[in-house]
Amino acid sequence: MDSKVTSGTIQKAIWDGRLPLQISLASSESRTYDQTDPYLISCPRISYLPSLLPRLKTFFSSSLIDPSSPPHQGWFSFEGVPLKWHYPVGLLYDLYAGADPASKEGADTDLASTADEDPLPWCLVVHFSDWPKEELVRMDANWMVMQDAFINSVKEADFLRNGTAKGIMSLSKEDSSGLWEAVCDVDLPSFQRISNILIPPPSQPFRNVPIRLFLPLPPDSGSPSLKVVQSPIPPFIPPSSGSSIAASQSILSTRGPQPQTIGSALHSLLPHLFPSRRTPVLAKPVLHGAAVPMGAPVEEVVRCSGYGDGWVYIVIRMMG
Amino acid sequence: MASSPSSQPTLSAFPLLTAEEFETACHAFSDRVHVAGDTKVGWSSIRLDQRATGPILSISREVGRVSTIHTSGDEPMSDPEMNQVLQWEASEEDPEALIRAPGPSVCLQVVYDVLLSPTYQVPVLYFQLRQDSHPGPLGIDAVYQYLVPDQYRKELQSVGIMGGISFGYHPDSGTPAFFVHPCHTMDAMRHIAGQRSLTPEAYLIIWLGLVGNRLGLQLPKELFTKEGIEILQGTM
Repeated sequence: MDSKVTSGTIQKAIWDGRLPLQISLASSESRTYDQTDPYLISCPRISYLPSLLPRLKTFFSSSLIDPSSPPHQGWFSFEGVPLKWHYPVGLLYDLYAGADPASKEGADTDLASTADEDPLPWCLVVHFSDWPKEELVRMDANWMVMQDAFINSVKEADFLRNGTAKGIMSLSKEDSSGLWEAVCDVDLPSFQRISNILIPPPSQPFRNVPIRLFLPLPPDSGSPSLKVVQSPIPPFIPPSSGSSIAASQSILSTRGPQPQTIGSALHSLLPHLFPSRRTPVLAKPVLHGAAVPMGAPVEEVVRCSGYGDGWVYIVIRMMG
Repeated sequence: MASSPSSQPTLSAFPLLTAEEFETACHAFSDRVHVAGDTKVGWSSIRLDQRATGPILSISREVGRVSTIHTSGDEPMSDPEMNQVLQWEASEEDPEALIRAPGPSVCLQVVYDVLLSPTYQVPVLYFQLRQDSHPGPLGIDAVYQYLVPDQYRKELQSVGIMGGISFGYHPDSGTPAFFVHPCHTMDAMRHIAGQRSLTPEAYLIIWLGLVGNRLGLQLPKELFTKEGIEILQGTM
């Protein structure tokens, strides 16, 4: 990283980001119980777990007690928690793999190294039966539910950026499915060509930035769900006084409102967890496995480090 | 611009709804239902929950009788879950069975949750259809068969102006649920309510008529007493 860091190099680094996964077949579904060899793969962080199902089905077919279930009936779990397939792999890892109690050590260095055990490779279990109906949305043989979920998410990001859903609506059907295919294939050039149609140029600030925050739940909360916080976050902090006309004009002037930073957004949405706008005191924001600088302007973060659906998913990790 | 539940001012950002206006609308609407009498309206329950994600107006009702599945079963049942229901039905009606008859039919329950979409700033309808003792929510085929009135089926399936039915996660409980994608709601509300100034409750009632009707959530006429009609007419 000694060469010049631009938003382009950050985006490329994120798309190049991979996680080593070690995937075992659920022992209850294996002819050899827990003696089946696991499947090892270096998986792009921005991709989605179900993309692995066809090859996992092939790999484990000779071990499966019931080899008849189709790949789309496959699902993943980590330490018994079913993983929601509509979240990218990298987000799932940031959410669950680091949720190790030992990470509460005061050490403020590399998040991964503070864990008791090395979280890598990330050990997941794949299942091809007993779909957890109360927890996971079922998939279909043509993966249409998955694509629908992705496009719905793209639409939401688009709506937040522009205040209308016109962008995604005007995208050709070819480009709309092309966007999904580019994410599935981790094909950054194709992705950029289509997302450049959707995302307004830097000279046009976003209306709001598509950011979702994932909060840790206490282990005894008995709830399988994650707490997700979302609220409109404008890219600039409006001045506390003055008319709205003055506010909109002053965005362009140098003395205008301050850019919204990750720290200021966290402070306004979660004031108890983030009492300071500049320094993480009780918790820190984690994105793509890294702590996000509190001073980073939110719009720049979203432009260069969003997931394939245009969203930035930040996991809030408690400190100390 | 200050909004208080009692005065119900007109909307500040129509066709969008602010969080305060949504809450005001939910309070007024559930009050209306309680005044009309919870049992009279034919719903099993209506309640307003304050959750971390904001208020949720939750309405549940029982849907017809599953035994109609035998008479109206013209269409092939592609949903494996409903096939399972059929099999259970068959075993329950087995004349050889000596156990106590469980009644002639099994009821379905639907829970409708109305939330404010934090992205689109319009109400969004989440719903789950369940059957007694059947594990997990029922699938999309059952939704079309038991909830969507005939006249809306084609429109919804072909992704009409309301954008059809999507399958996702309930924002509060995190469980799988169907929802009507809200990205067209803004345009639909503008189209229907036009330039008239609405109170928050009138907005919610129009929206329920627009979205709820398509999914079997009809507003009972008991809700519209004289005063109720005046409230709507006075603003429209």
